[in-house]
Amino acid sequence: MNENTHQRALQLIAQARVEGMPETDRTWLRAHLEDCDFCAEHARQTDRALRLLRTAAIPVPAGLAGRTQFRVRLRAQELREREPKRRALWLACGMSWIFGVASAPYVWSLFQWLGQRTGVPKLVWEVGFGLWWSIPALFAVAVLLMESSRKGEQADWINQGS
Amino acid sequence: MSGPTLFFSTLMADETKTIARGLQRRDPDLLDRLIEQYQYRLFRYLVYITGNKARAEDFFQETWIRVLERGHQYNGKSKFEAWLFAIARNLVIDWQRSKKAQSLDTLTDPEQEHPLQFADENDPSPLRQVLSQETEENVQASLQKIPAIYREVLVLRFQEELQIDEMAGVLSIPLSTVKSRLYRGLEALRGALQGGAAS
Repeated sequence: MNENTHQRALQLIAQARVEGMPETDRTWLRAHLEDCDFCAEHARQTDRALRLLRTAAIPVPAGLAGRTQFRVRLRAQELREREPKRRALWLACGMSWIFGVASAPYVWSLFQWLGQRTGVPKLVWEVGFGLWWSIPALFAVAVLLMESSRKGEQADWINQGS
Repeated sequence: MSGPTLFFSTLMADETKTIARGLQRRDPDLLDRLIEQYQYRLFRYLVYITGNKARAEDFFQETWIRVLERGHQYNGKSKFEAWLFAIARNLVIDWQRSKKAQSLDTLTDPEQEHPLQFADENDPSPLRQVLSQETEENVQASLQKIPAIYREVLVLRFQEELQIDEMAGVLSIPLSTVKSRLYRGLEALRGALQGGAAS
């Protein structure tokens, strides 16, 4: 038996456990393991390692499931309560955006007229128009930032004690 | 496909669809049932990837909160446990990133961790319990010697019995990488257990 034969056997031992192997390889390996003590021992050790891994038990702390169920129910209730507010907020943002788009040409003319009447430089009233138009988007971003910072605070407990 | 296989796969598909529908509705009773049903497997997975029981408890709770919040994203086409483990894993990675760590390995600092307390809950015999505890501590100690990326695939494949394609989904890596990690992990586990037995 040469080195390559053992190498193939060791490879097949792992393959059989990881992803399975064709019947022809299985037959070849079985025959090889009957003749080769080294490879047979390797197969036994691999099986032992996997058996130990499969049977290792980690007890779940008492009450963990109950505590988790309680927290999940609280969070579910919180989400249910926030749902109508969130819907109203998005609706308001949407309406505001539609209104903004529809009225943009008129508001542009208004800003232009005001600029001419008051003698304000063109750049100033253009910036003013830009701000007016971007207010809904800025408002939405502010709300999202507030939401994410609140989520961050909620997740702080997970960083504690680490 | 044979009769029984078809029967069980249909049952499983029905079960995942039911779970998906329940999660869409944020059904509290379904969530209670799932928490009970998967508590052992999720907790074990978290202990293995974090190497710390207290931290695993925190992530356990946070995972279920995330399941509640993101439940609408589960479509019922894959196994629920694969989706659950992916959520848990992403939470651990997010936390790790916030700590500016580089890899899963840094989650386990042997100098800081307390040895895990194992107990054989199935066998009340004190002698059997002690023997079993020694074996499990040996397995746990050996697993901690293995790099986390290998430890994780071993746990998913041989404890959770996920398929290789499901593992690729959980870990967000190609099938070939899953396989190569499994081969290396298996070799590392065998070597670590041999080393543990020798010491």
